[in-house]
This record gives sequence, structure tokens and C-alpha cells, in this order.
Amino acid sequence: MANEVSPLEEPAFMRAVLDLVIPPRADGVLPGAGALGLGGEVAEQLRADTSDGPGVAAGLAAVQASARARDAEGFTALSAVAQLAVLQSQLPEHPALIPGLIRYVYVAYYQHPTVLGGLEQPARAPFPEGFDVEETDPALLALLESRRIRAPED
Amino acid sequence: MSHEPVGVLIIGAGASGGAFAWSIEDLGMSVLCLEQGPWVKQSDLPTNGMDWEARGLGQYAPDPNVRQLPADYPVNSSESAITPVMYNAVGGSTILWAAHFPRLRPRDFTVRTDDGVAADWPIRYETLEPFFARNDQMMGVSGLAGDPAYPYHEPPLPPLPLGRGGNRIARGFESLGWHWWPSDSAIISRAYEGREPCINLGACVSGCTQGAKASTDITYWPVAQRKGVQIRTGCRVQQITLDEDGLADGVLYFDEDGALQEQKAEIVVVACNGIGTPRLLLNSRSDRFPDGLANSSGLVGKNLMFHPVGHVAGIFDEPLDGRAGPDGCALWSHEFMPSDPSRGFVRGYQFQIGRSDGPASTALVGGAQGPVAWGKEHHASFARIFNHTASIGIMAEDLPEETNSVTLDPELTDSNGIPAPKITYTVSENSRKMLAHGLEKAEQVIRAAGASDVVVGPHVRVAGWHLLGTARMGTDPQTSVVNEWGRAHDVKNLFVIDGSVFVTAGAVNPTSTIQAIALYVADSMKRNVERLLD
Ligand SMILES: Cc1cc2nc3c(=O)[nH]c(=O)nc-3n(C[C@H](O)[C@H](O)[C@H](O)COP(=O)(O)OP(=O)(O)OC[C@H]3O[C@@H](n4cnc5c(N)ncnc54)[C@H](O)[C@@H]3O)c2cc1C
Repeated sequence: MANEVSPLEEPAFMRAVLDLVIPPRADGVLPGAGALGLGGEVAEQLRADTSDGPGVAAGLAAVQASARARDAEGFTALSAVAQLAVLQSQLPEHPALIPGLIRYVYVAYYQHPTVLGGLEQPARAPFPEGFDVEETDPALLALLESRRIRAPED
Repeated sequence: MSHEPVGVLIIGAGASGGAFAWSIEDLGMSVLCLEQGPWVKQSDLPTNGMDWEARGLGQYAPDPNVRQLPADYPVNSSESAITPVMYNAVGGSTILWAAHFPRLRPRDFTVRTDDGVAADWPIRYETLEPFFARNDQMMGVSGLAGDPAYPYHEPPLPPLPLGRGGNRIARGFESLGWHWWPSDSAIISRAYEGREPCINLGACVSGCTQGAKASTDITYWPVAQRKGVQIRTGCRVQQITLDEDGLADGVLYFDEDGALQEQKAEIVVVACNGIGTPRLLLNSRSDRFPDGLANSSGLVGKNLMFHPVGHVAGIFDEPLDGRAGPDGCALWSHEFMPSDPSRGFVRGYQFQIGRSDGPASTALVGGAQGPVAWGKEHHASFARIFNHTASIGIMAEDLPEETNSVTLDPELTDSNGIPAPKITYTVSENSRKMLAHGLEKAEQVIRAAGASDVVVGPHVRVAGWHLLGTARMGTDPQTSVVNEWGRAHDVKNLFVIDGSVFVTAGAVNPTSTIQAIALYVADSMKRNVERLLD
């Protein structure tokens, strides 16, 4: 076990796990987080996170070990249903796994241009263009006008 | 190493330090500010990049324990129900603040007289009125004159647009017949004093790239520097030093390279916020002041007040433009601010209505309900709330209690080895009742506004934005740390000008009042220059 490769270093494993966390949307417009190629980025962030990273890595290692107990080829050789069952079976022992994982998966996913495009959001930095917002409803302003207090000299 | 002595030495270049520096320059003495953080470049701020949400959660997170930048000091908040947040740079916490800009109300200065609890302030709303107005001009405040909840005042710029969510919620208040008003916001709605107006980046709390949000690095500091005030960054003050008469005569500080330096001064002014200030005073122990500087009352670090916050989010069928626009500013309601004994608690709370989050934060925070589900439910859960929520924050008036405190941690230190602060804080029974009442009333508003579903977040933990009360003001040296114009009772040339001096917290965001106090203290010093050390 001592020279086991960390699951964070296994791209196919990371891809499969991330696709369970955020699967593709049914209409196909939004890909799964794994298929989007976020595994490497998420693994890198987890390696750098000295507080939550080790807990997530330990949880993922347990998932891989549990998968290997079913099939020597490991997690990626299982069906999607079996993968989910294996992942869920490890959560009671590794409660930090999902919170630590989504902290990075959600952020990487929702700032990806493909996802923003699929959500009909502009795939750009907020600055310098900014955004439009609806003006204050003039009917509301008229109501306030009728109850506002006046300057003492008015 | 020692430097040329100065007349006035300010410690901390945040909201209060900037305002004070700008005003005190008129005294005719040399003025220097020591600030532990750097200048922040607008071109470095998160909204310049696609990864703006990731950076807002990391490098620009409001919790210094998450950020861990060189300018930050750690805060032990393991025994606090609320996590304090701040930013350490020129501009201080205004770099990250939301710029919601209500003033304390006249009745907030007379809590003891009106409600028989806490204490009255030694000053009144009227004392601060001219300084509120001056500060509004300097910061650039947008708002709608005539709110009946306040004495008449005129923000220099027209109000920010409410947006779809704000319009919705305002109609909810209208249908219940409850007070609401567009917020005073320290964000410019029109070009002003060389600054460009707000373009609704929607990420004020990770810094404003546009410069429309007033942070003192772009409002007060450039003007103060033009007037002659000097500012030295990367300088963390370790302690305030005393001469043999017990007057403050300067500070010892660590420079950017970690070298200990000495700076002498005739007057020392502390503006390090409600945590940094008691920390510094407690770290400035001497034979004369074994329990910390200016602490003969024993109240330095005591009576810490935050504003406990609850949160109710409504989910609407129609899309709202919630991710755009100033995130903390749309409208306020003072409907439940005044005390009403029939409610079972004293004092009251503010409703603050802002906007909602960008996509990544929506997925992580999920309105008020916690992260959006992972797995096969994920897309449906996300779609239900993203761009479909509007929410109401309930900000409760926290009353001063000596057990809520800032002390020095016995072990934890910053990168210079200076003892770090430890926060001990529980949410009082009164505040809990207030929040419960507020959550129920906020739900009523959200439903009246037409939400199809409501999510209640009873207690927001990372809500220690407002750091108040830890060196309070008063006329009696036994029950207060500084006098009615910010001068320490125990040390006649030592002043405190930040939120530490608050006697009570009100139920509104404090920075307008903090800055008005800083201007008022500077003005009092200028007017009392002959008897400054009497
Ligand atoms: C995310 C966020 C949102 C907020 N939103 C709002 C809002 O909408 N409305 C509102 O009214 N308020 C808001 N606030 C609070 C507001 O920012 C503060 O009330 C205000 O900045 C306090 O001003 P200050 O001068 O007391 O302290 P700060 O602005 O915090 O400045 C203190 C300065 O002192 C420096 N310092 C501390 N110790 C030392 C030392 N030993 N040596 C040298 N320098 C030192 C620090 O580096 C810092 O720059 C918010 C705060 C945050 C963090």
C-alpha cells in the first residue's frame, strides 16, 4: 500500500468521480464536470489545500480501495451505478470528502466558459463591461415621493 | 532604527484612519499613518478575470484566517459564534465592504434612557450630523432624500437602481404596508470627483475594479496625501510606547522586512478596528499599565458587539438579475427597529436587501440553504435558484456584554511574533429572539413579494463584518475607555477613532457612523488644541 499512487494523480479516476459530482445535464447542453476536463485543476487545488485536501485525498483513496475490492481494475472499471454505490458507501467514514471536493469542483465548473455559455451567462470577466440591471420601478418611486419628509427650509 | 518624530501618528489606514487623516492635516502638525497592509491595485482585483469567484473565496476572502496574506494577522475565533472578518490594506475593510451606508438613528444614542438597557452615548446624532454630511460628500453617497425613518438628509448622488429583485421585494413591503426605502450606498450612481459610476459588476465584497465603491484608498487617502499626510505601508505596530510622565510618545513597529523600528510622535491615534485596536492596547503593557494601555477601567476588549445576522431567501419563478449590481445594497426597512415590549425582546433589527450571487457562489451557498445537491439532482437544484432568488438579511442590534470580548491568545501569534487576538462571543438570548422574530417577518415579506418557495438561514456564521464596542466612549473613566471626543481617559495624548468607541451598536451597518466619529474627533482636536492635554 505504501507506494500506492494517490487517486489525485489518476486522471481517469478523477474524471469519473467528478462526473458523479456534477453529471452531464439531461439535455446535453452542460457536460459533466469530469468530461469538461476539470480533474487536473481540482486535484492541483486539493494538493495545495493543507487543511481540507488531506481529508478529501483520504476519502478518494478509500473509494478507490473499495472499488478494487469489487473489481481489480478499480473505480473506472465499474458501471456508473456501481461507482455511485461505492462512493456513497465511503461517505459515513469520510464526511469531509464531498464538502472538500465540491468547494473546488463547483467553482471550477461554474467559471468555465462552456458552462457559462450553457447557462446563457456571458462567458467573460465582469470588468470592464459590467452588467445592466432593471431601473427602480417609477410606480414605487411615486409612492415614496408621497411619504418622504422634506428639507426643513422647504 | 528611529525616524524623524511627527506631530500626529495614526495607526491603521482604513475607514476611520483615512477620514481622520484627511481632516487632522488642518491642525498644522506633521501627520503620518502606519499601515500594516499594502496599497491595493484595482487592476489586481478579482473581477478583472474569469476566475473572479474563485479569487473572491480565496485571496480576497473576508476571513483573514482563510486569506492568510502577509498583511493579515490570525484571529482565534474558535470560541465565537460569529467569525470576524476584515481586510488589512490601505482602505482597510472598505476594500471588501458592501458599502451599505445607513447612519445610526437619533434614538440609537439614548438606549439607556429609552429602553433601560446598556448605556447612553456621551454624544448625540446632532453632534455628528455635520460630519455625516461631510463624510457623505467625501465618500460619494447615492440615495434618496426624505426617508421618514431619519432626520432629513440629502445624499449627494441619486439612488442606485433596485434591480428586478429589489423591485419585487419593495412591492412585498408595500403590500404589507411596512417601511422600506432605497439604501444610502457609498457607491456612486453617477460620475463623481474623477470616479466613474457603478457598472453593476456584482462583486463589491471582493473589491471594486471600477472604483465606484468608496474605499478610503480612493476617496480620502489621495486627498489627504495631496494635503501632506504621509503614509508608510507594510508597517505593523507592535506596541505604543510611553514617556516617563505616562504620555504616549510613539510606537514600535515591524517594517516589511521584519525589522523593529521606532517612531516618535506627540499624539497617537489608534484606528485599527474593533479587534485590532484592543489587541494593540492589550499588547502595549507596561509597569504603569500592566493590564494593557488605557485599561484602568478593565474594559479594553470588553463589550464586543457584532450584528447577529439571519437570512431568508425567496425563490421566484421569473428570472431576476440578482448576480449583477451592488451585492449588499438595494433597500432597507426600519419597520421593526424601534423597541416594542410586546415582542419579547428589547430594541430591534434592520432588514437589509441586497442582491444574489454569481453562479459558483450560488452552487456553494445555495441561497440560504447550503450547497446545491451534488449528483443527479444537481442541475435541477441549481436551476431552481440561480438567478431566481432574492433575499432579506436580518441585522439584529447586539447589546454590549462584558463576556463578549477580545483578549490576547496565549499561544497564537502573527508572522512578527505579536500575540494574536482571541474572540469570545455568544449570541445573547435577546438577539436570538430578535432574529427569530425577524426571520418570520422576512418570510412574510418574501411571500408577499410572490416567491414560490422560501429558504430560511437562521444564523449566518461568517457575519462578523461590524467590530464594535471594545474601547467604549463615555464620561466616566470607570465605565469607559475614551472620553466623549475619543481621548483615552488614562493617557491624554492617545485617541481611539474606530468602531471600538461605540457604546451601543444600533441595528445598522456602522461605517457611516464610524467615519463621522473620526471626523468629529479630528474636529474636536482642532477646536480644543489649546487644552488638548489638560
Ligand atoms: C466583507 C465586508 C463587508 C462589509 N460591509 C459593510 C457595509 O455594507 N456597510 C458598513 O457600514 N460596513 C461594512 N463592513 C464593515 C466596514 O468595512 C468596517 O466597519 C470599517 O471598515 C471599519 O473601519 P475601521 O477604520 O474601524 O477599520 P478598518 O477599515 O478595518 O481598518 C483598520 C486598519 O488598521 C490596520 N491595522 C490593524 N492593526 C494594525 C497594526 N497593529 N499596525 C498597523 N496597522 C494595523 C489594518 O491593516 C486596517 O487597514 C464590511 C466589512 C467587510 C469585511
